[in-house]
Amino acid sequence: MPELPQKKVGIVACSGEEIAEGTVTRLAALKVLEELRPQDTVTICLPLFLAGGEGERAFARFYPTIAIDGCDLRCAARATEAFSGKPAASIVVTDIIAEKGFNPPQGLRRLNEAGQQAVQETADRTAALVDELLDKKWSRRNGGFRNGDFIEQAPRPQTATCTVVQACACGSGIPVQIVDIAGHEATIIALPAIFEQFRVAGKGPSAETTAAILEQVKIYNTLNTEDEKAYRDMLSREYSTFWGAEEQVV
Amino acid sequence: MDDTTKVIIIPCSGIGKTYGTVSREAAYEVIDVICPQTSTLVPLSKLVLGDEEAKTAIAENRVITIDGCALACATKMVEESGGSVNHQFAVLDAYRRHRQMKPRGISELNEGGLQLAHALATEIAAAVDELQGEENA
Repeated sequence: MPELPQKKVGIVACSGEEIAEGTVTRLAALKVLEELRPQDTVTICLPLFLAGGEGERAFARFYPTIAIDGCDLRCAARATEAFSGKPAASIVVTDIIAEKGFNPPQGLRRLNEAGQQAVQETADRTAALVDELLDKKWSRRNGGFRNGDFIEQAPRPQTATCTVVQACACGSGIPVQIVDIAGHEATIIALPAIFEQFRVAGKGPSAETTAAILEQVKIYNTLNTEDEKAYRDMLSREYSTFWGAEEQVV
Repeated sequence: MDDTTKVIIIPCSGIGKTYGTVSREAAYEVIDVICPQTSTLVPLSKLVLGDEEAKTAIAENRVITIDGCALACATKMVEESGGSVNHQFAVLDAYRRHRQMKPRGISELNEGGLQLAHALATEIAAAVDELQGEENA
């Protein structure tokens, strides 16, 4: 059985460029991503939920995601929920500032000392949430916790018209593949990564491999039971092509 | 000058790469230092959320976008939000024009990044002046 992609926590910062609190979100997110929890976190630019592809829109379903907002407009949390999936947790910088009694942050380009305090506190709280989320069981198929905690089921991704395998500009998007299933186009989340892991494991095309791949596909995608044969046929065909292409390269 | 007659600057909001930081730094230099009277900034996050005030601002004013990568989120979001882009700048294009200014760093830009942001800001400011000239003509 190939090892699945490591579970990580997604961080989406509002990055609001017109207020200092937006700069706090950006720097706090970076502190978590680069210093505090570099092995356990990934990020995505908020606009990519709309400007990107299926891989980007699957982000909050694939990763339990923490939205970090600068103000109570909560652009990051609300847009993430609207276009990707409900964030697993949400942080608002102005709430933290009020709670801790910090002075208002100032400086869009260079934060003052109060802003730096807010960055540290926001980053620390985000890192603690990352640890908490990593301890919970996350369903990538449903985009929610398996015990049904406080996450509702996220919508299924929409079918894309593009056939390009996409990854987000931050290098952390979800790989997807557009395939033909019984004459219908469908987007299969994580299929390129699954194929790659089977290839690395030396599993050549066979009925047994197709069945194992199908089980992996079910983890990340919602399949109707009656479609299983069509999915099996598609996976057999696509993996043979993938395997053959890789063999030629080698 | 009223905000409604200012040129709207919309930088990329990327936080994962140095080019996003360059786009923001250039935007801030334009609105804070070079053209504070004639330009203002609208954050991309508000357009993503569909904020009415932000959508009205881009619909009623001249718009300049600064994209950090080829996905061109800033430009796409303006177009999807009902606005039109009068000038589109891309950090990568600016870097191609100024190869000696290699940007590094995300939280803090290196000297090359600051120089590139300044060069880009100067080009954007010229575009702001041009658009303001058209507006006043």
